Amino acid sequence: MNNYSFEQLSVGQSESFEVTVTSEMMDCFLKISGDTNPLHNDEEFAIEQGYEHKVVYGLLTTSFISKLVGVLLPGEKCLLQGVEAKYLKPVYVGDTLTVTGTIDELHESVKRASIKVIISNQNDKKVLKGKAEVGFLK
Amino acid sequence: MTREEVMKTLNEIFCNVFDDDSIVLTDETNANDIEDWDSLEQINLIVAIENEFGMMFDMAEVSDLANVGEMADLIMSKSENE
Repeated sequence: MNNYSFEQLSVGQSESFEVTVTSEMMDCFLKISGDTNPLHNDEEFAIEQGYEHKVVYGLLTTSFISKLVGVLLPGEKCLLQGVEAKYLKPVYVGDTLTVTGTIDELHESVKRASIKVIISNQNDKKVLKGKAEVGFLK
Repeated sequence: MTREEVMKTLNEIFCNVFDDDSIVLTDETNANDIEDWDSLEQINLIVAIENEFGMMFDMAEVSDLANVGEMADLIMSKSENE
């Protein structure tokens, strides 16, 4: 786990990791969220709607931002204060995602880092773009 | 930028941050006057103000502010010095 302080960060600094979405993750997210919507749970329904398979929950994909900031950028001192996310393409079980965060703004007065987030799939297509607002623990 | 223009822009920022178009700022407005104005919203406000006015404050400058009027004075003073 990284442990950057605010002072150790600079604009443009980035971290990334890869993760493959599994059926177990979908099951866990269903349990946590209670979201039984068929788009995420019924393969036939999703295909009828024009998708290749059932679609991974957008918020499951978004949840990888938690690891990005809590483990890598800044890591241990992270105090997540806000997240914005836009979903650009569907994610399917088995997709391997690359989650990348880049420091976009540093506000010294309030010790907040604004981190631009891009999540791409194995075909280098962006599936999510977003922003994380991060404060710092002592 | 005149002080009146600074106050008008601050009012727009406050309305956006608190998602409340009914906010009308005066020089005396402070955190006791807006129910949702807590420490996290204070950070959101400062970041929005820095981005809108294109200036950065230091920690001491913003921690000493007692009300919106003092914030407007700080913005005026920093813009004059730039």
